[in-house]
Amino acid sequence: MNIFSFKTLLSVFFFICLSLTLILSFLNYEIPSWLWLVDLGGLLAFFSYYTIKKRMLAYVCKRILGALFTLFIIATVTFVLLRTLPGGPFDQEKTLPPEIKANIEAKYHLDRPLMYQYGYYLSGLVQGDMGESYKYIGRNISSIMAETLPISIQLGIYALILSYLLGIPFGVLAASRQNTWADRTLMVGAISGVSLPSFLVAPLLILFFCFYLDWFETALWEGPSYYILPLLVLGTRPVSFIARLTRASVLEVIQSDYVRTAKAKGLHHWTVLYKHVLKNSFLPVLTFSGPLIAGILTGSFIVEHIFAIPGMAKHLVNSVTNRDYPLILGATLIYSVVLIFSNLVVDLLYSHFDPRIRLS
Amino acid sequence: MFYYLNIVLLCLSLSLASCFKKKQSKQDELPLQDTLRFNISTEPPTLDWSKATDTTSSLIVDNVMDGLLDYDSSKGSLKLKPALAEKWSSTPDSKTWTFTIRKDVKWNDGKEFKASHVLDGWERLLNPKTASEYAYFLYPIKNARAYSEGKIKDFSKVGVSVNEQGQLVVELEEGKSYFPYFVTHTSTYPIRKDIIEIHGDSWTDPKNIVTLGAYNLKVWEHDKSIILERNTNYYNQAAKIKNILIHIIPESGTALNLFEKGRLDAIRDLPSRELPVLRKRKEYRSHPILATYYYGINVEQKPFDDVRVRKAFNMAIDRKKITDLLKGDQIPLTGWIPGNLLGYDSSLGLNFNPEKARELMDEAGYKDRSTFPRVVISYNTHEDHKRVAEKVQAQLKKHLGIQVELSNEEWKTYLQSLKTGRQQIYRMGWVADYPDPDNFMTLMTSYSENNHTNWGSGRYDALVEEAGVLSNERERVKLYMEAQKILVEEEVPVIPIYSSQSHWLISDRVAVFPLNIMGKVSFKEVQLR
Repeated sequence: MNIFSFKTLLSVFFFICLSLTLILSFLNYEIPSWLWLVDLGGLLAFFSYYTIKKRMLAYVCKRILGALFTLFIIATVTFVLLRTLPGGPFDQEKTLPPEIKANIEAKYHLDRPLMYQYGYYLSGLVQGDMGESYKYIGRNISSIMAETLPISIQLGIYALILSYLLGIPFGVLAASRQNTWADRTLMVGAISGVSLPSFLVAPLLILFFCFYLDWFETALWEGPSYYILPLLVLGTRPVSFIARLTRASVLEVIQSDYVRTAKAKGLHHWTVLYKHVLKNSFLPVLTFSGPLIAGILTGSFIVEHIFAIPGMAKHLVNSVTNRDYPLILGATLIYSVVLIFSNLVVDLLYSHFDPRIRLS
Repeated sequence: MFYYLNIVLLCLSLSLASCFKKKQSKQDELPLQDTLRFNISTEPPTLDWSKATDTTSSLIVDNVMDGLLDYDSSKGSLKLKPALAEKWSSTPDSKTWTFTIRKDVKWNDGKEFKASHVLDGWERLLNPKTASEYAYFLYPIKNARAYSEGKIKDFSKVGVSVNEQGQLVVELEEGKSYFPYFVTHTSTYPIRKDIIEIHGDSWTDPKNIVTLGAYNLKVWEHDKSIILERNTNYYNQAAKIKNILIHIIPESGTALNLFEKGRLDAIRDLPSRELPVLRKRKEYRSHPILATYYYGINVEQKPFDDVRVRKAFNMAIDRKKITDLLKGDQIPLTGWIPGNLLGYDSSLGLNFNPEKARELMDEAGYKDRSTFPRVVISYNTHEDHKRVAEKVQAQLKKHLGIQVELSNEEWKTYLQSLKTGRQQIYRMGWVADYPDPDNFMTLMTSYSENNHTNWGSGRYDALVEEAGVLSNERERVKLYMEAQKILVEEEVPVIPIYSSQSHWLISDRVAVFPLNIMGKVSFKEVQLR
């Protein structure tokens, strides 16, 4: 392979840009717009190159069309379900005089028949307008999402990187040292990580790292020392889960014939593990990754609540309590888009890790 | 080999990072010695004061804007003091009010403040198109309700005008001695129609908003923080502290952590379970607020159509035990009007008396308690409400030998159920909009939308209405006492439980931080050491 081929140089450049963006955002540095453009362009280019090369363009197009239909169904079902919820957006402790309530409902078209409201909402949606929040008066749903989603994504990406960076090696290590103290320790840790709720982990970490050691900040979202604890808390569960999944599937693969062959050929233990075993044992982790990515990128209500992070997750929860219909719909749709997209990426990656899988 | 290449590349990008600029947050530029750091628990839903209805929005608006009058919080009293109006007076029947407007007031874009700006504000508040929830605040004004309903299109028919001397003249439907309190409320503040017309909904953005209060809105980072900066052209005594940095922190425990770390100078709404520890600290302050907690009884449902049963329930509840359980310094309440307000009397109402309660139950025909119908106490899902309800349940069991059931619902569902009137006993609270007994008393009139008990008394309504017109305090108190007796001693459609306290931690950096029973926070009066 020629290191200096155009393709290699391009991907090296792209890799540098991507890691630079991550590092800059973690250190709370300003990210110039050209860097964003390179990242976005690079991802798009990579994605299109990959789909065309693997002859999956038709498949991807089909999936995207399917996704649009799914989104339409989600919007409709959410819309209908919301209206069956008891209590309306403008019910409150101090009951409003009927004529004032009528004025408000007229403003938001809530006095019109349900079909009209539905049509009105859909036609707005097609034009990219998700409407105006009932609670945050005068603020557009798109602008609320545009302000909060990037922060959730930022935190989510750190947590994801941490999850894979720690989870996979932990899993491999545990599997290769099966039934030793290392395996047991790691698995006890993983079980605790999966079962301990974040509202318990967070205060414990705050107590230890902020009050005993005084290393990090207890809350807010202003720089590296603010990011570490939330990302640890958010990452705990995925790290543990990935470690357990990896361990289980590595143990399965390790017994297959080709691994024995590799070992018989005299390859080093770790080379066998990382080159031959890992790639084939990655599929279960990949399956788990779709929902994981979507869940983590749209933020965790509890983590954002405890650390006062201005992310999107609170809208997913609070909008329902407030019966803020447009915001509930908007947040649900955004979550769905992220989920559908990450599932698509995961499916594409399948065929990369297991060439037997053909997507067409 | 790729593995090593990746590591090399990662190091390369790490070293590249140093060539970039660090993000400058506006908070970093605030010098600590000139900044007060405060927190609010939610993003203000709006800073448009014609539309804002919640306390968080009001807190910000109150500091960037002024009304015609203001509370004099320096003495901890509820007396009014001049603000945009320098004088105010009324006709003896409290029906027509005249406010003399200050001449030297300028908006922060340099324009002069005029009485017409108040008129514009009130027109906007009442206009059906604005769809403001607090439009009813101005309903006492003549024809205001009709204008808000869209029955009158011409605002000049509404009883508010500017006379030749530039004074604001307000004509009410009926006399109301406490009307001046209304013009301290954020919803009645003047507005700049021209600014709103130019910018539409985004007029409250820091770059667009025009205000005249002690502070200017400098930064509003949604869901994150707000920065206020002293208005150097303020018509009144200028604020002592230059910058106010307000973080948005939803969790009280988080705010407490930040306070411990010296990142916040004052916090309130302390986590209730921590109170027993926190109250021992020197930074701790507390003060009563005008908020009550009560149980309403649906008088149309059996067995509560019998006043003896209602009285028995009332007398079987030991409020002291409940407030001890909550540990928040709540004040047990048997009357209807909370302490620190005209018409409060601790001797009012039915006291805890289990023997008398049992007698009343026997009299009502439930000597054999097993014949007592199924009774449900409902409350909205919340830990404290649950604790109170469980305590009440236990007390009723212990003192009356009755097993009641508890039922909780999520807040909006609960409100919906209240409207259907199916509830037997329901939990509710009331926080004063203005510090006058009228605000609490009108709550239980037969026509009040907030009275879910189905109880109504012509005598009570008449007393409350009459007291609202009077300006003589002693006579008013007399009428309110009489009305309260009907409510909490004779007819008993409600069981008052307690009135609340507000708890604070205020750091040593702060020299003066005035607290008042309306829960208003006036940053201009705060001083640092």
